[in-house]
Amino acid sequence: MSDTAHDHHDHRPTGWKRWVYSTNHKDIGTMYLALAMVAAIVGAAASVVIRMELHQPGIQFITDFQFYNVLVTAHGFIMVFFVVMPALIGGFGNWFIPLMVGTPDMAFPRMNNLSFWLVAAGLVLLVIAGLIDGGPGTGWTVYPPLANADYHPGMAVDFGILALHLAGASSILGAINFITTIINMRAPGMTFHRMPLFIWAMLLTAILLLLAIPVLAGALTMLLTDRNFGTAFFSPEGGGDPILWQHLFWFFGHPEVYIMIIPAFGVISEIVSTFSKKPIFGYLGMAYAMAAIGVVGFVVWAHHMYTVGFNVETRAYFTLATMVIAVPTGVKIFSWLATMWGGSIKFDTPMLYAMGFIFLFVVGGVTGVTLANAGSDMAFHDTYFVVAHFHYVLSIAAIFAMYAGFFYWIGKMSGKQYPEGLARLQFWITFVGVNVLFFPQHFAGMAGMPRRIPDYPDAYAGWNMISSYGAYITAIGGLLFFVVLWKTLTSKETVAANQWGEGASTLEWTVASPAPFHTHEDTPKVGSQPAE
Amino acid sequence: MTDTKDKMKLQTSDMREPKTRNGVTAVILFGLVVGMTGLAFASDPLYRIFCQVTGYGGTTKVAEAVPDSQIIDQVVTVRFDANVNKSLAWRFKPVQNTIKVRLGEPAIAFYEATNVSDKAIVGTATFNVAPFKAGEYFSKIECFCFTEQVLKPGQTVQMPVTFFVDPAILKDRNSADVKTITLSYTFFASDDQSEALKLKTLQVISKGQGSTLSSREVIPKG
Repeated sequence: MSDTAHDHHDHRPTGWKRWVYSTNHKDIGTMYLALAMVAAIVGAAASVVIRMELHQPGIQFITDFQFYNVLVTAHGFIMVFFVVMPALIGGFGNWFIPLMVGTPDMAFPRMNNLSFWLVAAGLVLLVIAGLIDGGPGTGWTVYPPLANADYHPGMAVDFGILALHLAGASSILGAINFITTIINMRAPGMTFHRMPLFIWAMLLTAILLLLAIPVLAGALTMLLTDRNFGTAFFSPEGGGDPILWQHLFWFFGHPEVYIMIIPAFGVISEIVSTFSKKPIFGYLGMAYAMAAIGVVGFVVWAHHMYTVGFNVETRAYFTLATMVIAVPTGVKIFSWLATMWGGSIKFDTPMLYAMGFIFLFVVGGVTGVTLANAGSDMAFHDTYFVVAHFHYVLSIAAIFAMYAGFFYWIGKMSGKQYPEGLARLQFWITFVGVNVLFFPQHFAGMAGMPRRIPDYPDAYAGWNMISSYGAYITAIGGLLFFVVLWKTLTSKETVAANQWGEGASTLEWTVASPAPFHTHEDTPKVGSQPAE
Repeated sequence: MTDTKDKMKLQTSDMREPKTRNGVTAVILFGLVVGMTGLAFASDPLYRIFCQVTGYGGTTKVAEAVPDSQIIDQVVTVRFDANVNKSLAWRFKPVQNTIKVRLGEPAIAFYEATNVSDKAIVGTATFNVAPFKAGEYFSKIECFCFTEQVLKPGQTVQMPVTFFVDPAILKDRNSADVKTITLSYTFFASDDQSEALKLKTLQVISKGQGSTLSSREVIPKG
């Protein structure tokens, strides 16, 4: 359906300008996904090197412990800021928000481009930080006094701070873009209570970003001035307090983990609904559960700080508030299960990953409830029990959601069919790998193994060896993913506009595959979408 | 005529404001970002004020003068603890280990510091009381910790702290059972060593009692 008004849209950029100057949400989404994949290789490589060092007691090959700490730091920063966030928010968010709400592009396409290149620049700065002046060996939490100038002279931490400033600016601009698009540009008929749950997830994530990232930015600036301009926000010598950093960092840091997982919840909802051929059970409960998780997530930050010397009343409050989050989360888990119950389920790879997510997120979530207790956290703080917990909910659950989204949407993005058999093999290898990798870490932590150490007493040897083998299996799964990606992109087999059939009820399945450069140029009719 | 005039008026005023709903939304959201950033920077003074007002973490109070409330015949033992950050070359200890005081009764205690290095150093102390819940009721009238201390090489000084325990502690259900309060100080080498540098040219090594040669008011920390 083209008329003279649309003719100017046939003129589209080519060559390098198509990408560097892009104002197209699909191209920008693709670039985010590509960046996430590149960063994932670096971040995963760092973790494999760490696991190789921890494979046996004694020092294997990393004699420079500052370098070990830099690997740990780089692994954390890269995975959080340059893999999970760009993939789920920048990648899937940019690709599918306009498609799902029925609008041609984001509210601010040029600012969208800026957001992407800010992240790319941030990644470059972070890599540079790792290579100069010994690198930042602080952990992703960057606590002073270790992060201060006394113990990290040189520019490594400063480059890291600037890298995070760029990534944070990118997220803030992106969040403004997402919120404006979702609030203002939905197709007529798509009321808030008719939007896909993926859109709810992205809206809530963007609001969390707007409220949390500025606090990180402020704290990072204070650390930068402490290190370079003579202020003393965090040093007692000048009247400051290192605990203030922890409060500020975790006030950002806890919402940050919900920023990483809520988009994953959105992806899983779409996939479970599609592959059960049923609308999600309890739409309103799902949407407002995510909102509740987001809100409560802002008042629990000190559960990362139970050992700093709070009085017992403070610890009691944060224990209670943290455990409260399990309630809306439970609503979501049961709603996904209720969606599958009585559905006509197809166990294609996206659904395998989605079901894996549901099960493994519960495993990670229950260890979170254990850690929420200030009492037991006295024993668990800074042990591998914590490492096991957050890797289950992030490195397993969030990554499974990324894989699930990839397999679900790659047909729409590329027009090509992925090889189902190979993809299922990739799922099972990954599933086995991540569990062998992270489950034993619970036992190491309960036995008292501290985190962020390059060597450990012989007593922890058994669990560490098993865990390291799990890392190698997971790495094979990761390599196999790239094989699947290659085979998909070079495949001759194309897919239909709606490859998943009647279960796929959101608007992206009404456009061709691959989605044309410009979509929804004529506003779609949103009528009787079953929502509630 | 008026039509075009009105249109032009509209255009000039539109220059300032966003023209679209999207623009308005973006401006509001950006305002939110600015607000949260401001809150982050405000956290530094807010954090200090919060501790001062609530006594959180054992933060003590500052009193202007000796209290005019009654002295109550209930005795509290005050213990004195002294610590030195390892980058400060001072010896630091309390002159007395404990003092028994009645509630509301002002008392004076001394700490002794010796500069065991060969250059003048400015020191600054952080402090609190334990149990933390006693912080609200522990008031200092005069304290060496209110100012920075400069010690010449080898110099020893005795530093006083005048304080009282507020009788209102008896009215607080949570704190009424407190029988022992420990006042703890940790001395750090101050970030600002300018006073010490001024003394650098003096070759005096003195061991004397009494107050320090120079001190400067800093914002009271408790």
